[in-house]
Amino acid sequence: MTFSAGIDAGSRTIKVVLLRAGEVMARGIADQGITQEAEIERLYACVLEEAEVERGAVRAVATGYARNLVRGAEKTVTEITCHARGVARLAPGARTVIEIGGQDSKVLWLEAGGLVRDFAMNDRCAAGSGRFLETVAMRLSVPLPELGALAAKSTAPAVINSTCVVFAETEIIGLLAAGTSPADIAAGILGSLARRVAVLAGGQIVPPVYFTGGVALAPGMDDALAEAIGCPVVVAPDPQYTGALGAALLAGELA
Amino acid sequence: MDNLKSDCQCCRQDGEAELSPAAWFARMIPHCLDYATAAKTQGRPIVGMMCEYTPRELILAAGGIPVCLCGGSAKTVEPAERDLPNNLCPLIKSTYGYHVLKTNPFLEMADLIVAETTCDGKKKMCELMAQTRPLHVLALPQRENDADARESWYRELGKLKAVLEERFNVMITDEALRDASRVMNRERALRREIAGLMKADCPPYTGRQVLQMKSSISGLPDDFAQYERAVEQVGPGCPSQASKVRVLLTGVPLPSGAERVLELIEEHGGLVVCQENCTGLRPLMDDVDVDHPDPLRTIADKYYHLPCSVMTPNARRMELLRQLAAEYRAECIVELVWQACITYDVEAYFVRKLAEEELRIPYLRIQTDYSPADSARIAVRIQALFETVEGRKMPS
Repeated sequence: MTFSAGIDAGSRTIKVVLLRAGEVMARGIADQGITQEAEIERLYACVLEEAEVERGAVRAVATGYARNLVRGAEKTVTEITCHARGVARLAPGARTVIEIGGQDSKVLWLEAGGLVRDFAMNDRCAAGSGRFLETVAMRLSVPLPELGALAAKSTAPAVINSTCVVFAETEIIGLLAAGTSPADIAAGILGSLARRVAVLAGGQIVPPVYFTGGVALAPGMDDALAEAIGCPVVVAPDPQYTGALGAALLAGELA
Repeated sequence: MDNLKSDCQCCRQDGEAELSPAAWFARMIPHCLDYATAAKTQGRPIVGMMCEYTPRELILAAGGIPVCLCGGSAKTVEPAERDLPNNLCPLIKSTYGYHVLKTNPFLEMADLIVAETTCDGKKKMCELMAQTRPLHVLALPQRENDADARESWYRELGKLKAVLEERFNVMITDEALRDASRVMNRERALRREIAGLMKADCPPYTGRQVLQMKSSISGLPDDFAQYERAVEQVGPGCPSQASKVRVLLTGVPLPSGAERVLELIEEHGGLVVCQENCTGLRPLMDDVDVDHPDPLRTIADKYYHLPCSVMTPNARRMELLRQLAAEYRAECIVELVWQACITYDVEAYFVRKLAEEELRIPYLRIQTDYSPADSARIAVRIQALFETVEGRKMPS
């Protein structure tokens, strides 16, 4: 079998990567919706059609929090293993992966071959996740992709201690009322999120560090992370697709 | 295949025609309730226990019924928060919640509660409980391998003996202590044997079933018969048991009702082959020497050596983990820490080190409470752990 697919059904977006003989031939991304199973199916069909590949010729692995809703996948693998695998393909020397997705953040420590040696993730809520940034951007009335650019204009980043979406919003309202500029608030938010991830990593960062997940697309987030963990951070190429890529690579290895 | 299936205990469901030991113990609470009610009617005292440091031998020798009061229900946590802080372990809160709600029949029946100065949370919670219930606290010394601590614990048990004698108007003879020790040794030996069956390549039980095969009240004759059956009449495990990831579960106890994390492990491809905690093997490892001239001394020594994380240092626990990981051929260690259990939380540092640097097996620490809100996240972490275990097995 020469075709393999990885379907990453995340909390906010769905990603599909299609490989031919281990090389990327097509991919796609779509917003997650209410009818998740149908949304996943639609995107997968669309990617297959674009690549002109018959479904029966593809072996697929599903990952992401809605992985059990993916029809047609032979196996499900956790996003932890998939991100590790995807990053190891893109950067074989990577030792630490920071992944910030729609509703959680994770730190993965890799051993040679892309195996996960250890990992940490937030357990109970969406603190320190993409959802957190979305809420903040909405409150500051800027489109999410521009949050980083706004933060770059900051001269004195605001001190924001809450990583809880609900409490942070309260803090932001207070700061706005006190006349703090949106740029300083945005910079404060990125710093707060980065510090939260640094705590998750527990000071155990082993370079080189790669940054994946949708939040890696936010300009300035990599710098905020690098400052919080005290070591350079490389944004993985196409960071939103790392999990789907890993899943596709694992699908290619199915016996 | 049908024949094979009916022999395999791990697939067996409760309520099948012939009652399996696992099914018998699924009705453990009603059995204990019947037993305690009958004993109480006959004038035997019910003695509630808060922890494995309390020697059941002393209570049995006083003619009492030792019953474990540790709470495992999420429903009793909130009522406890009326008096207790939010940031306290769920086991303590659940136990206290039963006290507030008066819904644990064993606690309501208890003529005396014996508690210990183990962790600070439990110790202080017991002070609140003691306002309205008869409660005796054993001062547990916390230094490991120390002659003064050992003597102090011996004297503490002497005081408990005197308290039991006075309160229940009995004389606790050396012979009664030896008899009680024989009963408890037998119970420990049987439960060790059941746990030991999990050393097999294809274990006959699930970790959940092994956890179930115990009782809130020790020394029940009907339970002993079932323990024996569980050892003697067990068939082979079904072949799928052999392909699961062998997990050593360590850390805090899983009281009745708080089995969620163990269940998540076994629902996601793991098999808990060994449980190094107070609801598993830890209190079963040592017996009492019934030939010793001073029975109270050997009882005191057995319990003093229990390696709970309140001990400092706690090298015995690391020694036990080393031994169990080898005997049960654990492929990974999962440590369960109840939220706000400081001593296990800190000691997890050493367990991780042991797992990763010495035993060279993956380690996962799960900190949670009794609410199921984080079950999906915990499941992801468990699955990722198992993917790593499987990944290491594959030739690279």
